[in-house]
Amino acid sequence: MSRVRAVSAALLLAVAACASEVYRRDAVLSTPPATAPARIEIVKEAYLQLPAGYGRTLPQGSVWELRGALPEGAVYRRVGGIFTVEGAQVHEAYLVIAANQLVGFYLPVEKAYAPYSPVALNIK
Amino acid sequence: MRKLQLLGLAFLVSLAAGCATGPKFNTVESGLAPLAAGKSRIFIYRPSSLGAGITPDIRLNGTVVGTAVSYGVFFVDRDPGNMEVITGSEVDRKLTFTTEAGDTRYVRLAVGLGVLVYRIIPELVDAAEARKEMADLAFTGK
Repeated sequence: MSRVRAVSAALLLAVAACASEVYRRDAVLSTPPATAPARIEIVKEAYLQLPAGYGRTLPQGSVWELRGALPEGAVYRRVGGIFTVEGAQVHEAYLVIAANQLVGFYLPVEKAYAPYSPVALNIK
Repeated sequence: MRKLQLLGLAFLVSLAAGCATGPKFNTVESGLAPLAAGKSRIFIYRPSSLGAGITPDIRLNGTVVGTAVSYGVFFVDRDPGNMEVITGSEVDRKLTFTTEAGDTRYVRLAVGLGVLVYRIIPELVDAAEARKEMADLAFTGK
């Protein structure tokens, strides 16, 4: 079984050779509005299908800390864990949230915003 | 038949040649130098023997910090900031992430099938998952 999983993983990774770059544009973080909560928690797990074909999960109970704002929404970094988005390369990413919807990702190293089809999040 | 056996033996030897040697990580972990104030620590490990003969350099922010040896783990301490990990196999594959003072991050070197050869792909991994995978690997650091 583990061999099957290993081969499956290798085949999935092979797809990466063909994956496109994560679409993004330059972005500058600004001070978040005072109304934005300093921390949020994902109440119900959310699965995200990234444009390049990779999947990501926002785990139930994961906590995210406010790090700034973009015109598109407030920016949150995972606390005590990691979150990445993936295309041809792998990038650490913060969530960009507006009105309880995930609207995109902020890539802190690239200082860029990657839009995402809005998805409602169950957060508190 | 004998040729086949020799070929098989040669294959196994080549696999073994690509594997890390050293004490198990879980036996040396408690003796590792503590993280200095204001620094961040990055563990880099390769938990699989797939493509063991492919051992590219690992570059962190442009500097070679080690080699992607199967079943090996090591760490580097760095000033916090932006990190870029690149493995120089068939196609460069890049991982970017940030660290803050006191952070420990874990980078797993996964193996994918490239067009011609295996490719070594760096991935950022949660601490709990990484520590489980690293426990029995050979510590190749200093």
